[in-house]
Amino acid sequence: MKILCVCGLGQGTSLILRMNVETVLREMGVSADVEHMDVSSASGMAADYIVTSNELAQSISGTDAKVIIVNNYFDQGEIKAALEENLQ
Amino acid sequence: MAVIQWLATNFFGTPAILLGLIVLIGLLLQKKNSSQVISGTTKAIIGFLIISAGANIIVGALTVFEPLWKEVFNLQGQTLSDFMGQDKFNAKFGSAVTLAMTLGFLINVLLARFTKFKYIYLTGHMMFWTTTIFAGIVVQTAGDVSFWKLVIFLSIIMGIYWTFQPALTQPIMRKIMGNDNIALGHTSASVALLGAWLGKILGNKENDSEKIKLPKGLEFLRDSNVITALTMGILFLVGAIIISFKNTPGAAELVASSGDQNFIIYSIIQSFTFAGGIAVVLMGVRMFIGEIVPAFNGIATKIVPGAKPALDAPVVFPFAPNAVVLGFLGGFIGALLWLIVIGNTVAYVFVPTMIVLFFHGATAGVFGNATGGVRGALLGGFITSTVVAWGQYITVKMLLPNTIPDTAMWAADSDMFILGPIIRALAAVLF
Repeated sequence: MKILCVCGLGQGTSLILRMNVETVLREMGVSADVEHMDVSSASGMAADYIVTSNELAQSISGTDAKVIIVNNYFDQGEIKAALEENLQ
Repeated sequence: MAVIQWLATNFFGTPAILLGLIVLIGLLLQKKNSSQVISGTTKAIIGFLIISAGANIIVGALTVFEPLWKEVFNLQGQTLSDFMGQDKFNAKFGSAVTLAMTLGFLINVLLARFTKFKYIYLTGHMMFWTTTIFAGIVVQTAGDVSFWKLVIFLSIIMGIYWTFQPALTQPIMRKIMGNDNIALGHTSASVALLGAWLGKILGNKENDSEKIKLPKGLEFLRDSNVITALTMGILFLVGAIIISFKNTPGAAELVASSGDQNFIIYSIIQSFTFAGGIAVVLMGVRMFIGEIVPAFNGIATKIVPGAKPALDAPVVFPFAPNAVVLGFLGGFIGALLWLIVIGNTVAYVFVPTMIVLFFHGATAGVFGNATGGVRGALLGGFITSTVVAWGQYITVKMLLPNTIPDTAMWAADSDMFILGPIIRALAAVLF
């Protein structure tokens, strides 16, 4: 399973999101390949899920990945709820 | 002795290998499995090498942009030449930068452990750029510096900066976030504080930016590739059109440089090449920072109980999305104004670097809004463009003209510009 964590520049914020997503996945006992990147790169990359904010979700197009919205990248509670709801 | 010398040259002297080694240790400390250790170390090394390749693409586009606008403004004087550039600088001083980043982070952790400033700086890409630019200033000032002297100087400076910058912005951060859980760890701190100060004395807090309505459809502003290409595209286009109608030998020479291709088309392609070069560099930085920061985070949480992470600027964006747009707007208008003013007064072609203007202007906008509403947000953006435009001129022309002016033109930003002269003065005294 491949998950992309996305922010505008693909540098700092998406990396923090990636670290939090990895922590939550570990707690859930799910193993996945998680990467962080910017919007344009993510639109052209094959993945199962894309985790990003509501504003950026509108800029992601042409992807088969399921987009999961997380508004506060630092709230592990919100990330956990969003992942549990969307991952099969 | 020969063995030590060999190790020093080939391990410490080859930045990509030194970085791979640091990442390898980090991954082993985190008890990652073997496939994660191998892929992480490999990615970090590739990432570091990609930076140099991307930097050369950027230099190529900049060496068209600069003479183009020099001719538009009728400026005399030297064009951009006779400098090392990021590629060569990385090869020679990349090891010192990498090591200083790591030791500087450890100093940050120790300061957080033993003082009341519990901030841990986790914005890895800014750690890399700040250390790089400061190294460029030291090498420019002191000439051929010894490896360890450079490493020790930079790591102490960085450790202090990474600990106290978040502390300085935290009072306003509490106001913006409504809690004390995370801090700002970003080089926009100086313009954010200036924005908050201007908002306080000139703004009106009651007129909060989040009460007004802004047009929808500005989401594309958040895609850094798009805003960089569009803005540089417009500037290259305007410059190229003016040159095409100019009857001077300089203009004729520029037009001839595109060969058979139309000069305007050639210029537009340069702007997209510039954006492409930045995308390549950022991909390289992402690949190695993505392996270092989780390791740093693991070390910090073990050593410093109650540590507060100092994080990238967009942490504040969700708290005032309108102020983000207003701050960027203020910064963008200011940048165009300063491009013309600086071009006509001190004969320097300002490169309005969109990544810096967006992230710094937006952060200063959020800080300005917290103390001065809509007016504060716009002023925050404007002061950002002022610091960035004049700072870029002073840094490129005076602080590091022969080392990495190419990097300073697009990746250096507010705090580096504010602290740059201090770094130069310290380097002049200590080296």
